[in-house]
Amino acid sequence: MVLYILRRIASAISVIVVTLIASFGLFYLAPSDPAGVICGAKCPPARYQEIADSLHLDRPVYQQIWEYLHGLVLGTDVVSGGQTVHCAAPCLGYSYVFGVPVTTLIMHALPVTISIVFGSAIAYLCIGTLSGIFAARRRGTYLDRTIVGGTLTIGSVPYFVVALLAALYIPTLIPIVPQAKWVPLTESPLKWFLGLLLPWIVLGIVNSASYTRYSRASMIESLSEDYVRTARAKGISERRVVYRHGLRAAVTPLATIFGLDVAFALTGAIFTEQIFGLPGLGVVTLRAFDKYDLPVLMAGVLIGAVVLVIMNLLVDILYTILDPRVRLS
Amino acid sequence: MEPVITGTDPIAEPMAQAGTAPGGVKTVSKSPTRIALARLRKDRVAMICLGIFVAFLLIAIFAPLLAKLEGQDYTTRNFDLIDDFGYPTVGPSSTHWFGVEPRIGRDLFARWAYGARPSLLVAIITTLITTFVGVVAGLVSGFLGGWVDRVISWVIDFVLSLPYLLFAIAFPAVILSIIYGNEEGATPEQVGRVRFISLISVLSIFGWAGLARLIRGQVLSLREREFIAAAKVLGVPTRRVLFKELLPNIIAPIVVSASLALPGYIVAEAGLTFLGVGLLEPTPSWGVTIAAAQNFYRADPLYLWLPVLGITILVLALSLLGDAIRDAFDPRTRR
Repeated sequence: MVLYILRRIASAISVIVVTLIASFGLFYLAPSDPAGVICGAKCPPARYQEIADSLHLDRPVYQQIWEYLHGLVLGTDVVSGGQTVHCAAPCLGYSYVFGVPVTTLIMHALPVTISIVFGSAIAYLCIGTLSGIFAARRRGTYLDRTIVGGTLTIGSVPYFVVALLAALYIPTLIPIVPQAKWVPLTESPLKWFLGLLLPWIVLGIVNSASYTRYSRASMIESLSEDYVRTARAKGISERRVVYRHGLRAAVTPLATIFGLDVAFALTGAIFTEQIFGLPGLGVVTLRAFDKYDLPVLMAGVLIGAVVLVIMNLLVDILYTILDPRVRLS
Repeated sequence: MEPVITGTDPIAEPMAQAGTAPGGVKTVSKSPTRIALARLRKDRVAMICLGIFVAFLLIAIFAPLLAKLEGQDYTTRNFDLIDDFGYPTVGPSSTHWFGVEPRIGRDLFARWAYGARPSLLVAIITTLITTFVGVVAGLVSGFLGGWVDRVISWVIDFVLSLPYLLFAIAFPAVILSIIYGNEEGATPEQVGRVRFISLISVLSIFGWAGLARLIRGQVLSLREREFIAAAKVLGVPTRRVLFKELLPNIIAPIVVSASLALPGYIVAEAGLTFLGVGLLEPTPSWGVTIAAAQNFYRADPLYLWLPVLGITILVLALSLLGDAIRDAFDPRTRR
């Protein structure tokens, strides 16, 4: 068990290190012209030279990587807008465009993305499990087929199309649904909840497709067990049979697939942010792409990779705790 | 499983056909692929979906012809059909079948028909590349084992644990700067070409790993079988064992995964283009149109709904077709 977890952690670290080096290579070794981007179109040569010097573009590659890593671990001094500033410990550099530390930008964006991912996870967990149970109890009926067919259809329609149509039409068609808007949780929990409600539900419904199918299959299996028949024979109410006896056995396999698709959730979050206008990590990265803001772009990729690797690691560890067979293989 | 006989032995195929010769008794040696195809042909939903896919393919291929038939093309701007507020003054008519674009008045039908092209082109090219790379990597990794397997497996894990969308956003900027310096230095055509290539590259780089893992698993279980051992003992060269003995036995997962990947890449192309990191404006693409049309959804619903319906119907048909193909190949439903 411990050995397995250690091995998983080692491989997770190796992935992060290679991502770091690869993205550094991609962004900084490309014969791009960051100084020109910062300085703008009509750039006096003296100013251009000053910026190029401050970025240390003349230094050898390994030294640039070393400085980046050094900044990441210990912090470093950065020249921004003509003056030297200290960039504290997890230093990802300064944004070329906004002239603020990349960490500040990311820190503002991360809560948005995390709220979207977790809120929608709860939404699809509820929607998927409930509709799965509902369909399983009416197995083979018209309603069952409608639910299964409906989730299949929604799952195959491109997500961004569903989200876009929902964002455009739902607030006008159903005025009760509040407009999507980002309000920090610390500022007003109620406004935070209301502002994110629509994105959560839309992302939840689309993501719940596979979940409905899993929970339906799992529920059908557990409802056909002998002990469920025994429970029914004892005269326990149907409700109690389904939720106490059936669901409890069906929930273990569900727990293992929950959160397995973190990459998908992150992808969904980027489209959600862009379409509903929520200032998360995806929107920050997209804006950096438009402005060719390399440090922000690289930080976005790096943080996305780290989050993904850590989440996958946690899911794997959870999986070994829930299912002992994994440890043996 | 029968595949041991069929497909692996070059003599088995002609013999199977000879067996159904006039007057002869029907033999049982039908290849699994042929059984699956026969089953697919009987599946009405699958055939309708195939028809829809072929229809979209024809629209994409004959887009110039269709536009000529209508008498328009996709670049001409008709400012005379636009009022002072930027809204079109004409609806669908015999000269403009679907009406014209707000603001600059390009013909919507021509742009819609041409818009099918990049989606299908990117998706088909990417599916071919990822299937080829995934199959070769999976075969080599599973069959050779040892350090080759360890390296390839690590690369597969690595690719699968990266946030593909964030890389897809970052990639075109880097490619463009490598080839042409920064964005201002390149002409729109050059930028367009780079975007097209980088889109296919990103989707390919992240697309092959899942299939490779699947194939590797299949090969790991197949390579211990007697017919592989026999081939090895007979001194058949490794390349021949891989492509003549192993490959025919894993056709089913390859076909299934390719047919499910195709709609995925169509969605990915349109999605990235919609975000502004895929194809760019002069190229007529459904993603570009949807992104532009979201601001006119109330004034000009047709502008938004044409590409939305186009991509939804195409993707839905392809997904259902993929599901049907999977069912046709699934041995559990085999009669």
